[in-house]
Amino acid sequence: MTQFGTWQPKIRGRLFYNWPCGTCEEALRFISPVQLGSKPYDVAIVGAGVVGCALAYRLSMYDLRVLLVERLHDVGEGTSKANSALIHTGYDAKPGTLESELLREAAAYWPDLAARLKIPLDPIGGIMMAVTDEQERQLEVAKKNAYANRATDVSILSAAEVREREPNASSDVCGGLLVPRESMIDPFMASIAYAEVALVNGIDLLLGVDIAGVELGQALHHLITADGHRLPACRIVNAAGLGSRRLADGYGGGAFDINPRRGQFVLFDQSARSLVRHILLPVPTVNTKGVLVSPTIFGNLLVGPTAEDLPLDDPEAAHTTLEGIRRVIEGGSCLVSGLTEQPVVATYAGARCACNQGSYVIRYNDGAPGLVTLTGVRSTGLTASISLARHLIDGMQKELGLELSPDIEALDTRPESAWPGWWRRPFANDTVDARVDHGCVVCFCEVISEGEIRDALDSPLKPRTMDALKRRTRSMMGRCQGFDCQVPLAEIMSSHTGITISQLTKNGPGSELVAPSQRAFTA
Amino acid sequence: MSNAQHFKVAIIGGGPAGIGVAVGLAKRGVGPVVLIERRTEIGGTPMGYRKKPGGVPTFVEWTRGRVVFGEELAGRLAKRLALTDTAIRLSTQVTKIDPAEKRLTLLGQEGVCDITADAVVLTAGAREQTPAEKGWLAGARTSRVGFTRHLTGWLDGHGLLPARKPVVVGSDLIAYSAAAKMRDAGSDEPVMIDQRRGPSAGLFERFFFRRWTRPDWPGGVTAVEIKGDRYFVGIKSNDGKEWPGDGVIICGELVPNTELALLGGLAVELPSRQLQLARGQALSQPGWFAAGNVLGGFHGAQWCYFNGRRVARTVSHFL
Ligand SMILES: Cc1cc2nc3c(=O)[nH]c(=O)nc-3n(C[C@H](O)[C@H](O)[C@H](O)COP(=O)(O)OP(=O)(O)OC[C@H]3O[C@@H](n4cnc5c(N)ncnc54)[C@H](O)[C@@H]3O)c2cc1C
Ligand SMILES: Cc1cc2nc3c(=O)[nH]c(=O)nc-3n(C[C@H](O)[C@H](O)[C@H](O)COP(=O)(O)OP(=O)(O)OC[C@H]3O[C@@H](n4cnc5c(N)ncnc54)[C@H](O)[C@@H]3O)c2cc1C
Repeated sequence: MTQFGTWQPKIRGRLFYNWPCGTCEEALRFISPVQLGSKPYDVAIVGAGVVGCALAYRLSMYDLRVLLVERLHDVGEGTSKANSALIHTGYDAKPGTLESELLREAAAYWPDLAARLKIPLDPIGGIMMAVTDEQERQLEVAKKNAYANRATDVSILSAAEVREREPNASSDVCGGLLVPRESMIDPFMASIAYAEVALVNGIDLLLGVDIAGVELGQALHHLITADGHRLPACRIVNAAGLGSRRLADGYGGGAFDINPRRGQFVLFDQSARSLVRHILLPVPTVNTKGVLVSPTIFGNLLVGPTAEDLPLDDPEAAHTTLEGIRRVIEGGSCLVSGLTEQPVVATYAGARCACNQGSYVIRYNDGAPGLVTLTGVRSTGLTASISLARHLIDGMQKELGLELSPDIEALDTRPESAWPGWWRRPFANDTVDARVDHGCVVCFCEVISEGEIRDALDSPLKPRTMDALKRRTRSMMGRCQGFDCQVPLAEIMSSHTGITISQLTKNGPGSELVAPSQRAFTA
Repeated sequence: MSNAQHFKVAIIGGGPAGIGVAVGLAKRGVGPVVLIERRTEIGGTPMGYRKKPGGVPTFVEWTRGRVVFGEELAGRLAKRLALTDTAIRLSTQVTKIDPAEKRLTLLGQEGVCDITADAVVLTAGAREQTPAEKGWLAGARTSRVGFTRHLTGWLDGHGLLPARKPVVVGSDLIAYSAAAKMRDAGSDEPVMIDQRRGPSAGLFERFFFRRWTRPDWPGGVTAVEIKGDRYFVGIKSNDGKEWPGDGVIICGELVPNTELALLGGLAVELPSRQLQLARGQALSQPGWFAAGNVLGGFHGAQWCYFNGRRVARTVSHFL
């Protein structure tokens, strides 16, 4: 009998967690580089955001030894977890730029890619809404820009046409630009699916490993971890997002300045979903794309983001502020009426990697042969991840002499049975018949069963923190924000993995769910 | 699914209120009645407050003039339920309702099924307001920011104290009971943060809890941010004051569990999520009623039980 929801492919890559206090299974614990074998890596990627994961996925199609290293205890836990969750068509990009090209290429990939990787995607389309006469005039400009980006399916709408499509549009609306193909996506599953397939195809993944420096050699370099381990690699790709500056300093990479540009969001209850039918976008200003109102693939309504420039290494770059939340709701209310009556579920913030030297800055042999710096992947990296990976691999072939021969065993698809399937698989009786724990609901708001939690824990990229579990299953993400399910989930995680309750963490060492008893409290 | 099982009355939620409805209906000879509870045991919220020697009892049992442990009170109510003919479906969640057809979709270990009834009573209880819902809490999303329900889960379920230097957000009875439970388990005296000038718990309640806790009360805090990176290190108010701690418990200010009604199309006020009630706690569609904490506001467990009994009378009149 095939067990529902489980995927048991041969996993050719190795997954290790650097977990000093030993709070994950022995077999998953990173103790020394010996575990990775002695052969140097052909390519080592630093940073498992959506970009690093996409690159690993694409490289895993070839016969190469690839390492993906991430400081945090899951993939996609940096900027890649807190964004607007949209797949852009690139209609509003600056024509002729690399960004514009990558977005156009990616937009064409996504429908098929999402189906293969089982990433929930819905091409509901967008409407750029003008609410002043000045903005209405700008719609023509936006349309011309879209045409220049070869997005020729956009069209201008009159105020009446906008209202017909969006009955709850603000009464100020005086016109719109219809942008078909703008899509909403599960942003978490993008990083996870890429990394999962890459892992199955044989790339090695290290989580919780901070790269503190790079030791340069003739043909062989070493990544130096914060614990002093040396990881040999012929080529290194710096895909560290907001960490790219610090890492580039470690190998003498060229000059660039980055800083976090914070974006705050407000997520509304499912009851608010019916307020809109498209992704509603404001007319952008020179400084920002502005606050948009979008449904989410999970059936909520998302409003945001703000754009606030903060200094590099500001510890509060991904914190919310009451002022920011107020501005988000104010901004959203310019587009849709009735927002303020809707119940809020959560607020969050993400930090774009804003770069003075432009977006999508790529440097080959930066500082030393074999080093690739990628930075300034600011506001469209989720969309462009797949085409950017293609672009980087082409560049590495040309500039770094990377030789590619296809790996005939490699998969480019997650199987139909891949966990999770909650978004496309309504609870069916045969699911529960096959395994009774698929009928035991633990997360009541999002209706997630104990069986799905266990399937997630057993999936190839084994999540071992509560946040990692949450991004895979949507448990704790509903309206009660874990009120009912956090403790039962911790109990399941503990019984399934053997990690004791007091050692379970939200997102890695230090974030234990209960205060460690030994920690002497310092104010 | 046309062969949906039919009941005279379906009760959604097996807390004190749902038990009250079931017992009341049984007394009036109404049947068959089904009670659906998504957790593994009957008793609702009070069941999480386990009886422990030397612990802190936090549930007032007015009829006995005593304060007891939630588990004791719920246990007594569950015994009364067991004496009735009510069909009980445990570990089964109502995932959808069709108000016009009085049809419920259930999900449990037997899979998915629909049932119908002549009358339905919503006794789904309440949960605690989340930080985002409060609207005056922002900042980091760290670990060790939990609810009272987590506190009872860790403490009564696993003997683990989630914070040694706790910050309590909220000041109602639930907040005081949380503070008392933590003090009793060996934490420092908590700081209690609220927007109100004075605590929301009454004088009598505060007096009762003085035996265990006298929380620091800065009072009248208008807006605060949660500080920390991976873990909570404290709370900072917009006037610059800081309260360090190693965990925060978000207490009380209950939000009724009305999502079934809201998404099913019964009249619910937003953003408060309050049910629109007609006479006799009837809802906007004929044959639908509500009882207990799902009505909104804070009600003690025994009040909820008697409220359920009273609604049973209205329901039997309706039938
Ligand atoms: C508010 C907002 C809205 C957005 N909306 C959209 C959208 O709708 N559509 C879209 O396509 N894009 C959107 N984006 C952009 C998108 O989120 C980013 O471009 C993308 O996530 C960048 O991915 P990344 O992999 O480059 O960076 P990151 O996700 O930041 O990954 C970098 C990783 O490197 C790790 N790292 C750093 N230093 C080290 C080190 N020394 N050692 C080991 N690991 C290290 C970090 O921990 C991190 O996980 C939005 C961004 C924001 C902030
Ligand atoms: C966190 C918290 C702490 C409290 N602490 C105290 C205290 O210390 N002292 C005190 O006197 N009072 C306290 N109370 C109040 C007390 O719990 C209530 O008065 C009483 O439990 C309310 O009874 P009820 O039946 O209305 O709801 P509940 O007891 O909450 O029962 C509702 C039941 O419905 C079930 N349910 C909900 N939705 C569904 C669905 N869709 N399908 C199936 N089942 C469903 C739930 O699982 C739950 O068991 C507290 C309440 C809360 C929320």
